[in-house]
Amino acid sequence: MKPQWRWFLAGVGLALAGVLLALIFMAYQMPELLLDWTNLNYCG
Amino acid sequence: MTLTKPTWRTPLIILIAGCVILTLSMGVRHTAGLFLQPMTLDHGWSRETFSFAIALQNLIWGLASPFAGALADRHGAGRTVVGAAVLYVLGLVLMSQAASPLTFDLTAGVLIGLGLSGTTFAVIMGVIGRHTTPEKRSLALGIASAGGSFGQFAVLPIGQALITAYGWQSALVLLACGVGLIAPLAYAMADGHKPAAGGGQSIAQALREAGGQKSFHYLFWGYFVCGFQTAFIMLHLPSFLVDGGLTANVGMTAVALIGLFNIFGSFLFGWAGGCGSKKNLLVLIYAARAVAILIFMMLPLTTVSAWVFAAVMGILWLGTVPLTNGLVAQIFGLRYMSMLTGIVFLGHQLGSFLGAWLGGRIFDQTGSYELAWIIAIVLSVLAALCSWPINEKPLLRPATA
Repeated sequence: MKPQWRWFLAGVGLALAGVLLALIFMAYQMPELLLDWTNLNYCG
Repeated sequence: MTLTKPTWRTPLIILIAGCVILTLSMGVRHTAGLFLQPMTLDHGWSRETFSFAIALQNLIWGLASPFAGALADRHGAGRTVVGAAVLYVLGLVLMSQAASPLTFDLTAGVLIGLGLSGTTFAVIMGVIGRHTTPEKRSLALGIASAGGSFGQFAVLPIGQALITAYGWQSALVLLACGVGLIAPLAYAMADGHKPAAGGGQSIAQALREAGGQKSFHYLFWGYFVCGFQTAFIMLHLPSFLVDGGLTANVGMTAVALIGLFNIFGSFLFGWAGGCGSKKNLLVLIYAARAVAILIFMMLPLTTVSAWVFAAVMGILWLGTVPLTNGLVAQIFGLRYMSMLTGIVFLGHQLGSFLGAWLGGRIFDQTGSYELAWIIAIVLSVLAALCSWPINEKPLLRPATA
């Protein structure tokens, strides 16, 4: 694989990983999870 | 007996498989708290009934880890991981059908605890450690640790979404299907029976040797403090924030920030451990935790201070895992790495049990978490002092026949 393609794919991979992490982070604000948040106090 | 290693089982494949196994195993375990409300409501159980089973799970996980590690060291990690995955799946499926507190203790507590002991750090780190060069070992352990951290971060909202969409019983079965994927992945972990360096040593000799080394005790007690702090903060921080006048959203965002920054911290300290002294980095982590908690206590409690504290603690969260496991491999060699890291992990779980329980106990007795935070600071300083004299040099052993 050519070096420029390797860098390009690595960049795309990092960007996708960043988007995935951001989506998961936002999922922590889902209403059901907020309602159940006290449960974490017991079993984390 | 000599097993021919297939060419596809490269260090990279083993690392990727190990990361996915840790993601699944650690992630599914992290969702336990989400089942408290629906299960206790459906069965009419008290919260104590539920939390006792989860506390039992944590203890069994810690107590069984040295034995799972010894099994992996002696009979191969592949079959140990498969056996543990089967117990984990059985535990989740039977937990969905548990109708009494006793069956709940046996499934959620004992079976899942045993399953965790064979599918998490002690066994997986041992395989990864054996298949990486000393120069790259710490980085590889850091990447694997980041995989476990990613699981804790990612599977929690997935678990909640499954409960909301399909109900808690189906959610448990679906999570069991996810854990079932560990079994085929364990094929990559099958590293045969070949003894690594130190192959002439028996289990009893390895135990005597480790028990006679002060550094091993320092690692055990340092990990104990790590377990105490992480369990206390993860379980009680949201309550502490709400008691301080902040909203539930702030509490959940703090939990999410710890999870997110934990991924980067695990990787960062794994990488740093390959470049410098691992024990100095452990000293840094424990000292930084003490300073972070102290500053958090001294500043007025606001949304920003809570989030900054969560992010800092996230960075310092599981950075101890690649460093502690890496030190065990560095000092005692790879032959019994899984068993010895399993023993050190027992210290972590005892600390977790104490941190979770004592935090609640102190709050019930005094009406505040202040004393618990002070204990966390003092323990952190002691852990930093404890890590300082660790001798990182590999043990010299007389040549074996």
